[in-house]
Amino acid sequence: MFKQITNLGGNEWYMILSLLIFVVFFIVVVVIMATMKKDYSDYMKNMPLNDSNDQEIRD
Amino acid sequence: MQIEKFSYDNKIVRDFGIATIVWGLIGMTVGLLIATQLVWPFMNFGNQYTTFGRIRPLHTNAVIFAFVGNAIFMGVYYSLQRVLKARMYSDVLSKIHFWGWQLVIVLAVITLPLGFTTTHEYAELEWPIDILLTIIWVVFGINMFGTIIRRRERHMYVAVWFYIATFVTVAVLHIVNSVELPVSMWKSYYVYAGVQDALVQWWYGHNAVAFFLTTPFLGLMYYYLPKMANRPIYSYKLSILHFWTLIFLYIWAGPHHLLYTSLPGWVQSLGVVFSIMLIAPSWGGMLNGLLTLRGAWDKVRIDPILKFMVVGLTAYGMATFEGPMLSLKQVNAIAHFTDWIPAHVHIGALGWNGFLTFAILYWLIPRIYRTQLHSVKLASTHFWLGTLGILFYAIPMYWAAVVQGLMWKEFTPEGVLQYPNFLATTLQILPMHMIRAFGGLLYLIGVILMAYNLVKTMKAGSLLKNEAAEAMPLQPLTKREPTAHRRLERKPLTFLVISLIVILIGGIVQMVPTFLISSNVPTISSVKPYTALELEGRDLYIREGCVNCHTQTIRPFRSETVRYGEYSKAGEFVYDHPFLWGSKRTGPDLHRIGGKYPHKWHFDHLLDPTLTSPGSIMPAYPWLITQTLDTSLTKKKLEAMKTLGVPYTEEEIANADADLMAQAKEIAADLNKTDVDVREDSEIIAMIAYLQRLGTDIKVAAE
Repeated sequence: MFKQITNLGGNEWYMILSLLIFVVFFIVVVVIMATMKKDYSDYMKNMPLNDSNDQEIRD
Repeated sequence: MQIEKFSYDNKIVRDFGIATIVWGLIGMTVGLLIATQLVWPFMNFGNQYTTFGRIRPLHTNAVIFAFVGNAIFMGVYYSLQRVLKARMYSDVLSKIHFWGWQLVIVLAVITLPLGFTTTHEYAELEWPIDILLTIIWVVFGINMFGTIIRRRERHMYVAVWFYIATFVTVAVLHIVNSVELPVSMWKSYYVYAGVQDALVQWWYGHNAVAFFLTTPFLGLMYYYLPKMANRPIYSYKLSILHFWTLIFLYIWAGPHHLLYTSLPGWVQSLGVVFSIMLIAPSWGGMLNGLLTLRGAWDKVRIDPILKFMVVGLTAYGMATFEGPMLSLKQVNAIAHFTDWIPAHVHIGALGWNGFLTFAILYWLIPRIYRTQLHSVKLASTHFWLGTLGILFYAIPMYWAAVVQGLMWKEFTPEGVLQYPNFLATTLQILPMHMIRAFGGLLYLIGVILMAYNLVKTMKAGSLLKNEAAEAMPLQPLTKREPTAHRRLERKPLTFLVISLIVILIGGIVQMVPTFLISSNVPTISSVKPYTALELEGRDLYIREGCVNCHTQTIRPFRSETVRYGEYSKAGEFVYDHPFLWGSKRTGPDLHRIGGKYPHKWHFDHLLDPTLTSPGSIMPAYPWLITQTLDTSLTKKKLEAMKTLGVPYTEEEIANADADLMAQAKEIAADLNKTDVDVREDSEIIAMIAYLQRLGTDIKVAAE
């Protein structure tokens, strides 16, 4: 199954490098996400609901 | 602290909304027309301006850039003002953006049927329109960033991030994919050739889907779904993970459009791996949307707007599961070039983009017109017609794809092709194409009902052009905010730069080595540039849009090498500006067509395909025989090619006209011998010269 990504004739470095870049990027994003405070995310979540004055026609 | 009073611009939202409806009707009608052409060739109307090859790009451009494009701007202009608590930066720029965008579309409607095309899928418009499009896009960008900078809300909501990423990525994609050398006002050549051109095109093509059809709609989802369901998005944290991983991963996936071609193996593998990883953020986004409706499913039962959203999100989930599956090499080997691909695309276009657009229109139009929707019942009918339309479209196409894909690969026990005649596999699936067209018709009827319903709604209400609003102005920050992302969410330009870096990484890793390291595209010494006549023939092939139905790349499978000939090598395409590999085999591959049949066969076939292939659904091209080949630009074309690195000598360029005539006379004489009465200066001679040259260069070396 993994033949298509292992038989690269010396070009495996492109794959390893790419994966490494992604893993580092992903970890950074996860850390940022995990350290976010709940009150802030609640505030941001409600932003679309607090933004206009169309209450009177909402059913 | 004084509360500031200001107003939201609803008129521009309405204008984009009307444009969405109008272009949607036009684009889908053209789609229905080309669907019928694939069953009944007479629907090409025997006219060169309405053949499938020329108006298929009209359909794709109309639905992507006109229908979906206007829908994006409608949704963005409404939501951006509100989440930022500011009116659009400039009413004048809004107007220029609106009318400029419509002008681009009108120019596309005029030029594409005339045969002015660059052939790059979803980027067919010629260079002057490309420049106009760039200017209009920048106008949109200035207007958006101006609004962001003048905002009264410190932090940018997740929808706005998606809009920013859309703006910056589409700009990068459009510019890189449009580097062309103009030959005349309506003719240009891409600076890239062959394999490299293919990589650029599918980096663009795939990410046009990602950043024009996906990210702006995800932004719209994050704004409108909470509004429609009247509850906040399920998880704001998930949206952060969703956003960053999605924009990072998407950009790498383009090469999955080029599996088993002569693109370097490691680039193909990168495309596969990143496509599979892409399931995670795509489904993260879908689930974030669907889970927003938790506790609101009772509303889904009665509200057609939410119904559209739920089916739209489900279609998004299906399409983003299907995409990674199709990029597995084993699946791709069967599904690629078949009807599976249009089916996959339409799950996304009809289900995700179409349904979200309809939901937003139904939600938005009554609000800005201060009234109720004319008929909820009619909207429900639209929903069911649309859903049935999608099913009637997709299921027969999947069926046709599997049938045809397996027929292409079927061998008899004796080891010869079971269906050596390509046409036999086409005729087998025509009933499926009829059902597909019926599905398209259902979907279109639904849209007509919507147009009626919304026009009635508009007439019943009156447009609130400027909606009054008030908010506190932004205060300077007195203390440092605790987390990095929170700080980032109030810095639009830093946000833009970081998004830009994130989306550039994938493209750079794939493209720079493919362009700069020569071992990635091995040259073949016997491959020579096209003669003047062949080059003119190639440009006719481009003009007629042959690439929309015929590929020019043979994959290294026994079923393909037996059917078509030796598989395609990277070095064979080094002079192909642009590459013409195609993406769909409605007809057979043509890469080794050269020398396979006599000139007379091609003449008859182009005059009336059913003469040589009874039952063929290819349109006839009689005008190639009556029209005289325009050679006024031949020299300029050769010079342009030389500038791009094709090794034409000064002598070849100087003698271009004479060489062209000499070769044309040879072909005409051969045709005359077989009792064909044809002028040597007619277009068909150039077309035959090109077709007979295709894929023959490597055979010369073998002899």
